[in-house]
Amino acid sequence: MFRAFVGLVRKEFIQVWRDRNMLRLIFAIPILQLLILGYAVNTDVEQLATDVYDFDQTRMSREFIRSFEPGDYFVTEPQLTAEEQPLWNLDERFRTGSAELALVIPEDFSEELNQGKNVTIGLIADGTDANAARAGLGYSSLIVRRFSEQVTGFSQPIELRHKFLYNPELESVYYMVPGIVATLLTMVTVMLTSMAIVREREMGTLEQLTVTPISSTALLLGKISTFGLLGMIEMVIALAVGIFWFGIPFVGSPILLFLLSALYLLTTLGMGMFFSTVTSTQQQAMFLAWFFSVFAILTSGFFTPISNMPHWLQHFTLLNPMRYFMEVVRGIMMKGAGPADLLPQIVGMAAYGAVIFGLSALRFRKRTA
Amino acid sequence: MDMTHDGPLDSKRCAVEVDQLTRKFGDFTAVDAISLRVEYGEIFGFLGANGAGKTTAIRMLCGLLLPTSGTGRVAGFDVHRQPEMIKKSIGYMSQKFSLYPDLTGRENLEFYGAAYGLSRDRTRTRVEALSERLNLACFLNELSGDLPVGWRQRLALAASLLHQPKILFLDEPTGGVDPVFRRKFWGLLYELADEGVCIFVTTHYMDEAEYCGRVSIMHRGQIIEQGRPFELIKSGGFENLEEMFVDLIRSRGAARA
Amino acid sequence: MHKIRYIALKELFHILRDFRSLLIVLAMPVMMTFLYGYAINMDIENIVISVVDLDKTAASRELTDRFFKSNYFSMAEEAPDFDDPEQLLRSDNATAILLIRPGFSEALQRGEKFQLGMTVDGSDASLASAVQAYSDAILLQFLMDRLPVGFEPPGLTVSRQVLYNPDLQSSHFFVPGLVAIILLMVSALLTSITIAREKETGTMEQLLTAPVKPYQILLGKLLPYIFIAFIDGVLVLIFAQTVFDVPFQGSYLLLLLFGFIYVATALSIGILISSLVRTQQVAMMIALVSTLLPSVMLSGFIFAIKNMPFLLQAVSRIVPATYFLKIIRGVMLKATGVETLIVPAASLVGLMVILLLLATRSFKTRIG
Repeated sequence: MFRAFVGLVRKEFIQVWRDRNMLRLIFAIPILQLLILGYAVNTDVEQLATDVYDFDQTRMSREFIRSFEPGDYFVTEPQLTAEEQPLWNLDERFRTGSAELALVIPEDFSEELNQGKNVTIGLIADGTDANAARAGLGYSSLIVRRFSEQVTGFSQPIELRHKFLYNPELESVYYMVPGIVATLLTMVTVMLTSMAIVREREMGTLEQLTVTPISSTALLLGKISTFGLLGMIEMVIALAVGIFWFGIPFVGSPILLFLLSALYLLTTLGMGMFFSTVTSTQQQAMFLAWFFSVFAILTSGFFTPISNMPHWLQHFTLLNPMRYFMEVVRGIMMKGAGPADLLPQIVGMAAYGAVIFGLSALRFRKRTA
Repeated sequence: MDMTHDGPLDSKRCAVEVDQLTRKFGDFTAVDAISLRVEYGEIFGFLGANGAGKTTAIRMLCGLLLPTSGTGRVAGFDVHRQPEMIKKSIGYMSQKFSLYPDLTGRENLEFYGAAYGLSRDRTRTRVEALSERLNLACFLNELSGDLPVGWRQRLALAASLLHQPKILFLDEPTGGVDPVFRRKFWGLLYELADEGVCIFVTTHYMDEAEYCGRVSIMHRGQIIEQGRPFELIKSGGFENLEEMFVDLIRSRGAARA
Repeated sequence: MHKIRYIALKELFHILRDFRSLLIVLAMPVMMTFLYGYAINMDIENIVISVVDLDKTAASRELTDRFFKSNYFSMAEEAPDFDDPEQLLRSDNATAILLIRPGFSEALQRGEKFQLGMTVDGSDASLASAVQAYSDAILLQFLMDRLPVGFEPPGLTVSRQVLYNPDLQSSHFFVPGLVAIILLMVSALLTSITIAREKETGTMEQLLTAPVKPYQILLGKLLPYIFIAFIDGVLVLIFAQTVFDVPFQGSYLLLLLFGFIYVATALSIGILISSLVRTQQVAMMIALVSTLLPSVMLSGFIFAIKNMPFLLQAVSRIVPATYFLKIIRGVMLKATGVETLIVPAASLVGLMVILLLLATRSFKTRIG
């Protein structure tokens, strides 16, 4: 039986090797994806176009405006000058997207401040990009507070100091790359596996195989071993690019990561198998695999934290194996998490993997019998 | 409990032996109580229109499908209880000549060798032997998908012979192949039969059916006629098997009406 | 003319007969909108934190209360282990730990300087920033509320106003973008495999032996998919407006027009890919990489373009979704008119023309 298994794996590898285009894609995709993402990903809000309506036009107001400049968060553009008539075209500026934020400084700004009184300034934000708006308002509040303390000497006595662990620079890339690694592993294994099996069915070679004495177990294992291996190779490439090109940290144990990836593979390969048993054409298999992958990726906590989602959806994500794997990858890479820390995820993946794999194997056997 | 291969006793010459074999799918009866005996060294033709039940019958004989009722022995093994042993003893060539188009001839053969559990050395020996016999030498290193149909057919036949089975099931083996190749193919089959291999062929080419030692005609799941082609034609007063076949179907249809 | 119709009908029947594919093609956009809308919620709330109160006074309890009464934070189920408090963060059971040392209440009453410490899991940068912003705001409000009534501290107060999306619902930002992504996905993916499929099964040869011109085959194949893409687009829009309350301020007609141009562009890409490859698998993967990936990452859908390095910004200029995104967001949320949209519109049309030409030429030479 082992001989048959070896023969199967050998055949699968020859087939992959022969399909040069596919091969190129398999290696190019992770690199490409990582490079693009690594550079594109930036949820850090920067360079907000800020229109400044300075009705005070004093030295203090100009100093105030200057305090917004360091750090590249705001790009200020004065809308009023001392000589010209004030132009109040706020609405059009926002509508055309020329301004994302507007700062309004009232006439009595420096006068009131010098008297030690309270002055209200206006901040108007374009709410279309809620994230940018919130961040913009947040940063500017900080700047306003500091300036205020500086000028009046009055500050709040109780201070809150934050210490950021694992990612002190708060680089958003560091968080994305492990996610991409998880995503790649999932998409490649599920899609390729399901399509490959369906392809054999379409070609008719699957039938030929069932006539031979190869047990369906050997058949299954032979098929999925190849794609499991390919998935792992992709993962390694992605990790290498992430670590050596982007310099993301890898604090935990690589061995643990590989072991748990192999465990996760049980699930994805099982899903690929399962999809191959409920579809009859490659097109359907592709759609189904794609659908599942998108679903899994969205609810895995890749883009946004699961704690952000409505409660019903949070419970739902417990059924998403990728969620566990995402926590595993991030935990190991960024926080140095160990088996004890990840116990619930390990149990979750193992249970899921066993069930899916078992079910698919059963269905596969029945379908070919 | 019958667990032994009782070959040598009374079924020594019998390769395939079925009695009242039936297969139902829900309410639909695909194969309706067929009975036949085929001996080693015979070429048996399994005729019938598409949908007559030929494929289902073959699948039961190959160990791919379990019968609903009836008994049968293939290569001495029980079709109900020993389908896995049957698979080991037979060779099968499917309609689509299922070869992997992106593998070379040699790689295809090596793969199927492994699938049948032959060791590396054994596979190599067999590949050489078959390549010589079937004249495959120049095609072994070509991708099977690039080969013309006639050579793919040969390759598929070779793949089914790797483990030297005593029984061969060929499902529509000459579909789409030109007449020259077809004739050569049948020549090969005759050689194999002379060596004692039992060959089970399904075809809807009536002219080819006349090459067989015996034929059976299936219609709506039942075997409506069985015997030597020559005798069947003569006793009915027909020109050829095709005429006889058409007449049979017509009369059957009339009887039913 | 009726040759085109014949081919289009055949393709449509093909699609309809493939019930499972059809189901997925129609159900998927709806499900995706649903998911995206709820799952991608950049409005960060319910951050799990743990508050360790060592002061245990009325003041410290009130502060703790404020943290958890707000929508921003929710309480962790476990308390940190004193020997290894970070374990709580490593195992993802909390995002931050706030420590209120003894002496807090006293310092508060005396107006003395005092420091509170918060250890934050920085792996998710945006979450961490949010923790910082929210906790600062809560503390500030707590302190302000303790000031005597009527007392306005010297300094600046900010009056905030948010335009177009006063509740700062991020779904308003994303869901229109979703329409773009989904339309693209359906069009490009579907067409990328349709031609590859015929090549694989060999029916393409047969089609070409018939007295039909290549451009007729092309058009015939495209039409059913334009139809499906539109149904999907409308479905998603209806969904966006009913479930997520995304407003539609502008002109439906304008959106329809540009939607059509956008879909044609996406389809051309699909055809182009399809005519270049031999197998369906490869077609699919290329379609994914060249359409979906850049459209989601580089078009401004989630990540701001102006923050990207120059090379990527240049790439985003040839991604059709970039322009369509501007258009649809403008039309839906800001009711922008044609004048403002001239630039993205022209760019989109330009792209469409180029891609259509490329696709037809490629189709003709490689298949025709």
